[in-house]
Amino acid sequence: MTATVRHLAQAGALLALLIVWQLAALAGLPDFILSPFQIARHFIEALGTAELYQHVWASLARALPGFAIGSFAGAMLGLAAGVARWFDRLFSPAVFLTYPVPKIVMLPIFMLWFGIGDLSKVLIIALACFYPVFINAYYGVRQTRTILVWSALNMGASRSEIFRRVVLPSAMPMIFASLRVAFALSFIVMFAAEMINARTGLGYLIRIAENSLRFDLMYVALVTIAILGYTGDRLVRLAHRRMLSWQEQPA
Amino acid sequence: MRRLLPFALVLVSLTIWEIAARSGLWSRLLFPSLANIGREFALFFTRSESLLEIWVTLTRALGGFALAAAVGITLGMLMGRSRAVAALLDPLFSGTYAVPKLALFPVFIFLFGIGSLSKVALVFLECLYPIVIMSYAGARNVNKVLLWSAQNMGASRAATLRRVVVPATAPFIFAGFRVAVPVAMIVVVITEMVSSADGLGYVVVYALSSLRTDRMLAVVVVIALLGYLLDKAVVLARDRLIYWEKLDTYYV
Repeated sequence: MTATVRHLAQAGALLALLIVWQLAALAGLPDFILSPFQIARHFIEALGTAELYQHVWASLARALPGFAIGSFAGAMLGLAAGVARWFDRLFSPAVFLTYPVPKIVMLPIFMLWFGIGDLSKVLIIALACFYPVFINAYYGVRQTRTILVWSALNMGASRSEIFRRVVLPSAMPMIFASLRVAFALSFIVMFAAEMINARTGLGYLIRIAENSLRFDLMYVALVTIAILGYTGDRLVRLAHRRMLSWQEQPA
Repeated sequence: MRRLLPFALVLVSLTIWEIAARSGLWSRLLFPSLANIGREFALFFTRSESLLEIWVTLTRALGGFALAAAVGITLGMLMGRSRAVAALLDPLFSGTYAVPKLALFPVFIFLFGIGSLSKVALVFLECLYPIVIMSYAGARNVNKVLLWSAQNMGASRAATLRRVVVPATAPFIFAGFRVAVPVAMIVVVITEMVSSADGLGYVVVYALSSLRTDRMLAVVVVIALLGYLLDKAVVLARDRLIYWEKLDTYYV
């Protein structure tokens, strides 16, 4: 099957789904399910208002710093734990022990400590993003092939050179894989935090829309968050491909 | 000394917490002492409703997870073994991967009501992604030589699937489970915090709004323990079922 045929088939399947949906809407669906045309119309209308951009900005101003802080800390500490044995023994058990704990339950405590403003939300997002990046950076380092390290040693590389030229490049693919997970997580936690307690943001928008039965607003928020999540994911993957162009792409 | 190092960080943090709690610099609301949290933890288990809340949260999480496992493994294996199915479903899953499915929760409430069903449906949807993606990756990467040998020795399609494809995919499926189980807990707790009148997430919010931080932290510990035990159960099941491939990557 050639690529064009495949793309045509995919587009056809999507179109068929939308047509069935639209026809079902014409035949009569409950109030809370709008037809694709209605959703598109409401979304385009909302694009002309300043309100939507304010909520988008408020949401991004929470998710992106949280993602950046959490991933950076995760990568740094994960690399450190992978390289230094004493740090591994000190730090890693606590991380692996608390890994399966849902971090969102810490939000109420963070709200008490850091206030109900943006700081507590940014920090809870950072906490959630920290774990996958730490674990992948750690295993990325541990997976470095010993023969490469030996060769570098043999050729007279210093410790810092080995880290920079051998260990770091071999850990990078795993770190990037975890960045994709962390990004998706940052949006989930951002949304959850805004649904639980916020006065701005897309999570808040969807919540007031739900409470006031404004189904048009609900779908506008839904479409916006979907577009943002999709775009961000594409950007992370693009950065991955750009920065690690030497890595073989999986078939 | 070296054996004690893993506990050092935990002990130091707990000591700092207790000092902060007893210093009187912060209100007891912000830093309840460990003794208070411990007492609330013990009290939690003496109440019969508490066990009910745990039961409610667990059945929601595991119900959604089990559904996602059944559907996810089927879809993932189909995608891995059939190029047409993969071409159809792969863009769907990778395109919507980073979209927080949580945003659908309000729609689900209108569809399935504010009871357990909307929460189970959301858990199902969020857990589906890691399971589908991992079993797809596993089924796609089955060693060709093994498949050829099986065919060469006259194995039927069903036998090939059962004896070659499923065992080769199983480690990937369990890797997906290990991602999906914490996700199930996260989603259940969030949905219970946002809109519910039962479950552990609700207990957390209720304790907070009655300014009982010690009780809230005790419930947080309960949730943490549950998450840890579920993960442990997945690892144990994995080591039992996939005895031929031992991994030392499991830290705890």
